[in-house]
Amino acid sequence: MQDPAIQEAFIRLVSEHRGMLYKVCRLYCFSASDRQDLFQEIVYQLWRSYPSFRGEARISTWLYRIALNTAISGLRKQRRLITSVDPGRLPTEWHDIQYPAEKEEQLQLLYAAIDKLTEVEKALTMLYLEDKSYQEMEDILGISQNNLRVKMNRIRDKLRKITKADTYGIGKS
Amino acid sequence: MELESLKYIWHSLEAPPVSEQDRRAILATLGRRSQAPVARMRRNLIGEGILLLAAYTPAFFCFLLGFDGRLTVLSWLFVGMAAIFFAYYYRKYQLLNEMQCPTWPIKSNLARQVDTLKKYTRFYLFAGTAMVPLMYFLSYVIIRSKLPNATSALYQRLHPTPWWASPFFWLILLIPMTFCIYFVNAWYINRQYGRHIKKLQELLRELDSE
Repeated sequence: MQDPAIQEAFIRLVSEHRGMLYKVCRLYCFSASDRQDLFQEIVYQLWRSYPSFRGEARISTWLYRIALNTAISGLRKQRRLITSVDPGRLPTEWHDIQYPAEKEEQLQLLYAAIDKLTEVEKALTMLYLEDKSYQEMEDILGISQNNLRVKMNRIRDKLRKITKADTYGIGKS
Repeated sequence: MELESLKYIWHSLEAPPVSEQDRRAILATLGRRSQAPVARMRRNLIGEGILLLAAYTPAFFCFLLGFDGRLTVLSWLFVGMAAIFFAYYYRKYQLLNEMQCPTWPIKSNLARQVDTLKKYTRFYLFAGTAMVPLMYFLSYVIIRSKLPNATSALYQRLHPTPWWASPFFWLILLIPMTFCIYFVNAWYINRQYGRHIKKLQELLRELDSE
């Protein structure tokens, strides 16, 4: 598929939604090189599926499905360079964005907490943080809304415990 | 920290501004090959097919044209084996194509991957094990067909049937060898794909559980 008009339309689509794609890569990859690889793989899968997209689902649903399917079922071997979450070493900037110190600290807490979730929990958390309705989450994930609500409650409890433990050292030996 | 306060932080994350470099990077990605495991397996399969063709073609011509035509049957054996291998590679390629459905909902895609990967490994195991008795049988048929016929003096001298021509000898070798190949294949397949299948099943269980 080398039609320049289609390529341009696709590049516009990816550019408009690259924020979401970067967030998926950050959630599922620890190192910058892994994030880069995953981003490229997601873009490749989007490109491959683009010709067959006929608007049966919303564009955001289509994008999320491909991005999350690629991230979750890719099952890359991730080499973790540090074995415990060290907030001082968590990368928080994307490309050249620099955040104020207070925001940096908040971002580190955010990623430290989400890093401890499972792949499925990360997907649910991301969709929740993106303000997706339970209907949309059901379309993307393929699980019932009741099941989603139960899972979200568990994730809330888990994140509360994680952030409390990280802030106050509760539960750590 | 509550999920709601994480939401506030999440929404404040900005995507980097679009640059011409980003556009060029995306364009470059479109021309690249996928590095996903399934895509790599597909490429490996094509590579194996090409290697097979490169190895078998000279062997075919060698036995067809050489040895004063006495071993042409071996050249057709190579053709038969190549045909079997290509059918095997084709089936594997089909299964690999079925494995990836990234536009499906996450749960359906995972379920499809698990089912197809199990079919793939079962086929791999069955074909890898069946190859042994099949090759044995073909080799036995060729050797028996090349033995001197019953009326010749040479055959009379060799009567009773020499031990290496006895079907019983071939059978007692074949059975343990097939068993060994089965277990070696099973071990290898589990080493290559076992962890991946378990991981996918765990993800599915987590999606299904309440």
